[in-house]
Amino acid sequence: MSLIVEARGLTKVYRRGREEIYALKDVDFAVKKGEFVSIIGPSGSGKTALLNVLGCLDTPTRGSLRLVGTETAGLRERELVALRRDNIGFVFQQFYLMPTLTARENIELPLLFSHKKGNEAGIDGILKMVGLSDRGHHLPGQLSGGEMQRVAIGRALINDPKIVLADEPTGNLDSATSQMIFELFEELNRQGMTLIIVTHNLELARKAHKVYTLKDGQILGCEDMRCIQER
Amino acid sequence: MNFLTLAAKNLTRRRGRTGLTVIGVAIAISVLFSLLALNSGYEKELNKEVNSMGVHILAVPKGCPYEAASLIMHGGVIPKYLSASDLDNVTHIPDVELATPMLMHQFLKKDDKTGKTTPHIIYGIKMEDMLQLKPWWKVEGRYFQDNETRVMLVGKDLAEKENLTVGQRLPVGPAKENFTIVGILERTGDQDDQFHFFPLEEAQRVFGKEGKITTIAVKVRDINRISAVSEEMEKVPDIQVVTMTQIMGTIMNLAGSAKSLLLTVIAIALIISAFGIINTLLMSVNERVREFGMMKAIGASGSDIGKMVLMETVFITISGGIIGTAAALVGSSLIESFVKGMLPYSPSGSLISFSPELVGFSLAFSLFMGLVCGIYPAFLSSRLSPMEAIRGGME
Repeated sequence: MSLIVEARGLTKVYRRGREEIYALKDVDFAVKKGEFVSIIGPSGSGKTALLNVLGCLDTPTRGSLRLVGTETAGLRERELVALRRDNIGFVFQQFYLMPTLTARENIELPLLFSHKKGNEAGIDGILKMVGLSDRGHHLPGQLSGGEMQRVAIGRALINDPKIVLADEPTGNLDSATSQMIFELFEELNRQGMTLIIVTHNLELARKAHKVYTLKDGQILGCEDMRCIQER
Repeated sequence: MNFLTLAAKNLTRRRGRTGLTVIGVAIAISVLFSLLALNSGYEKELNKEVNSMGVHILAVPKGCPYEAASLIMHGGVIPKYLSASDLDNVTHIPDVELATPMLMHQFLKKDDKTGKTTPHIIYGIKMEDMLQLKPWWKVEGRYFQDNETRVMLVGKDLAEKENLTVGQRLPVGPAKENFTIVGILERTGDQDDQFHFFPLEEAQRVFGKEGKITTIAVKVRDINRISAVSEEMEKVPDIQVVTMTQIMGTIMNLAGSAKSLLLTVIAIALIISAFGIINTLLMSVNERVREFGMMKAIGASGSDIGKMVLMETVFITISGGIIGTAAALVGSSLIESFVKGMLPYSPSGSLISFSPELVGFSLAFSLFMGLVCGIYPAFLSSRLSPMEAIRGGME
């Protein structure tokens, strides 16, 4: 399988006054097309920093990152926006749904920015996939936490991305709802979607193909869950 | 969904705040629109009023000519008089086509029903001369002859207000002599609609002003000769000359000062309103920083975010513009009475003249205001780094 994400020596340094804080130190990281990858680690280990760099929301201080065959170093803001818009779907812990838009409109929102015309059948399909066919006209305030996260997942999928990046997608959900959300991710992966998920939940993280462990901005190790399961 | 829908829906999030901002804009635009409408209406009405007097020059007793002019146009009483010899002198000036004497007198009439006392203006005129000055006059009933006694004409508004009819008799003057209304003037649209008209000699007799006149109205053969004739008239002792151009100019100058004051107030109102909008938008942008970060993460560019914020501003100002303009149209009479109180002289017709161009200008100004106010918040929100925005930071 071809590599969809290929990072070499990724380093991200934040400065606070004279102090330099290394969020990432020489991280090498690769994800193949169709893989389901989890990233775990304690708070402050650099999980979110890595996800932000991989999603082109932040630029690395050093190192190279190839996304879907495109080297991101040196790209201008406009090119990064296009790369992100056309290839990446984001899911956040806090959902970040627009409170004045219905579930359906929230899912449709990325189409506005990609200047694609909304396809009713396509949106219906997404609503069905995330199990919200009958909740499309509800506002976020009328939905449960799990339903809101499913809307956010639907929104991440509407532009037909090549990778979905999720930052603590179950962080605000109870265990039963978290389980449902992970099952949804598993289903998406079965349909061929590449997934990179940052989570604190080890049980759920182990449902991925690979589990990367991060500490102090460095990758401590990678477990291939498929090998473990086979053993 | 499109950006307009998104911007409109965003504004519904804080309805109270959006509503108050829209009201602020509406008030500013409404006052601006009214002033512009007033500006064109005022000049139009003043021109109409001065022209409707049908005279080119007024001769009044010496004193403050502008005060006199203002009193004359209001139908006021000048406490000084000219004599028949003054009239004779004016009549013999070359290029004077017509010089007609007038006596104005005011009396107070008590309403039997309400008990309120209202001033009534009586114009003593030479009917034959008057019809030359005001050929557009039409009458229900008939005009009086200059040598008739105890007859009068009344203006249309006055007749309607007092329920006067042709043939009715009214007690007039200190001796309460009964005068018969022989005619009611058809509506002229100017101050003539408010007056009583008596034969000059009758007015002089009733009010004990025999041989006295308050004004000589002069019509010149050639309007290019107005200044030459007025120079000649200045030579007559006791006479103060006021040309219609002077009256217009003076009134316009006085009104101009009042309008400048109003314009300053409006400018301040608009500036306050603009800062209010900017403040509202900055608050709104600050509250939604994370949301903008999310939008950038899901594919929005900086210009998409800026465009959305700008549209929200334009929505606010255009809504304010529409509401303000509509309010000005609906409440024009209220605004007019307020403005009339502030102006040194107000013509009797409607001062506010609305036109589609004016409505267009007000709405275009609202749009312009929205663009100006929205630029800074839109710029700030567009240059947010997505990651910083998601973390919720914005300086």
